[in-house]
Amino acid sequence: MTVPVFDPATLPADGNVNPYTFCVELQGSQWFLQKGKMIAYYGQIEFNGIGHGALERLVRTSFHSPLHAGDWVVAQGSGKMLLADRAFDVNSFDLDDGNLTIRAGNLLAYQPSLALKQSIVPGFLTLIGTGKFVAASNGPVVFMEPPMRVDPQALVGWADCPSPCHHYDHGYVRRAGGTPWSSGVESLGAGGLRAMTGIGGASGEEHQFEFVGAGTVLLQSSETLMPEQATGAVPHEPGVPGGGAGHGGTGGQGPLGSGMPRMPGQLGDLQRRFGL
Amino acid sequence: MFRLQGSKVLAVEMTGDSVHAKNGSMVAYDGEMAFKKLSGGGEGLRGMVTRRLTGEQMTLMEVKGRGTCWFADRASEINLVSLRGDKLHVESSNLLATDAGLRTGTTFTGLRGASQGNGLFTTTVEGHGQAALISDGPAVVLRVTPQYPLSVDPGAYVAHQGELRQSLQSGVTFRTFFGEGGGEAFQMRFEGDGLVYVQPSERNTVAGDV
Repeated sequence: MTVPVFDPATLPADGNVNPYTFCVELQGSQWFLQKGKMIAYYGQIEFNGIGHGALERLVRTSFHSPLHAGDWVVAQGSGKMLLADRAFDVNSFDLDDGNLTIRAGNLLAYQPSLALKQSIVPGFLTLIGTGKFVAASNGPVVFMEPPMRVDPQALVGWADCPSPCHHYDHGYVRRAGGTPWSSGVESLGAGGLRAMTGIGGASGEEHQFEFVGAGTVLLQSSETLMPEQATGAVPHEPGVPGGGAGHGGTGGQGPLGSGMPRMPGQLGDLQRRFGL
Repeated sequence: MFRLQGSKVLAVEMTGDSVHAKNGSMVAYDGEMAFKKLSGGGEGLRGMVTRRLTGEQMTLMEVKGRGTCWFADRASEINLVSLRGDKLHVESSNLLATDAGLRTGTTFTGLRGASQGNGLFTTTVEGHGQAALISDGPAVVLRVTPQYPLSVDPGAYVAHQGELRQSLQSGVTFRTFFGEGGGEAFQMRFEGDGLVYVQPSERNTVAGDV
């Protein structure tokens, strides 16, 4: 058994090297890239933060998430670069005049022909347009069609269908709601409160995301949630879901454990800044 | 004779010869085997002094016998490397096993090593024979030629072999300190002729905390 040796000529152009490594070819073109996901590159490639002045026009058309501006960079130049993320499965997907919403931590890179926006669901990002993007998942991605309910931890994203709603099983609703059947102690129980508010991240199998309508739901074949960066809180505004503090991500906490948005120019959190 | 059984278990057939392997990495054997503790950083008194000074400690064991011995380490992917007189540089934490005929030693790597969080020294393996490397996810082997130098993220670097010069390349600018850097502040640049092994995952590095 011989292990293949790759060089710039034999690396695929915009394809998988193995299930865990993706190769992007740049020919004077640009890609948006999440910080720290590049593992190696051949050629002349430059990495610039979103706030870099020369990228003004590109950012105006393709990047619309101030909360994530500190986490993304633009790679430009010519050569081939390898992307990978914690040895998770990596795949590229094509959108053709479409839309897809994905967990913020799972999106590794996308072509600027797509526009990135924050989903109305906190912790998720929506890509709109035509182009290619690269996403990571813990285990291969499985495609399903609504109507269906999915475990929150297995959800990677969804395309074309309406955003999901929370579904709580009857037992949970009864315990949390302080209904006539439940005792007073139970109705104040932390489990019930957590289940109702989502605070504390408790989600057993009593809680699912429910999808209806026509579209595709993307699931990962694992319930291990990828450690995510704090995605920050959306502004305090009437009518903005999750506008309260502390509701930042749907999953993990950032290194500082805060729900504060990460703005360019903010001090602290140096590790993230260096992309290592 | 090294052989992969699946991608996460190394099987070594032995007929009276011996291999060096990471301490505690044996998962099974058949036949007759004897296990003896060794230490990395080179043999003898000089090796011992080197180990003390460099901190590049590797607790190795020598396995000798007849039969088959299986090795594995925390379900990490295993990559086989054949050496034909050339030198392999590898992080000691990424080295699983080598033919006993291969010489292991310690070299100074300078800033590059520091940026990886593994100290200023790295392990070298030299001679003729096989070595087994472990990585987080299967390693990708990239060829470096004079016309195609390669830049690697220090957190994804596993090993390299051949005639390669390496240097630390910094993308740190004033923007980095304002949170608008390129996100890839340090890279290892390889020039010359040889192979570089990278893993599809980035371990945390000291440079990441700088």
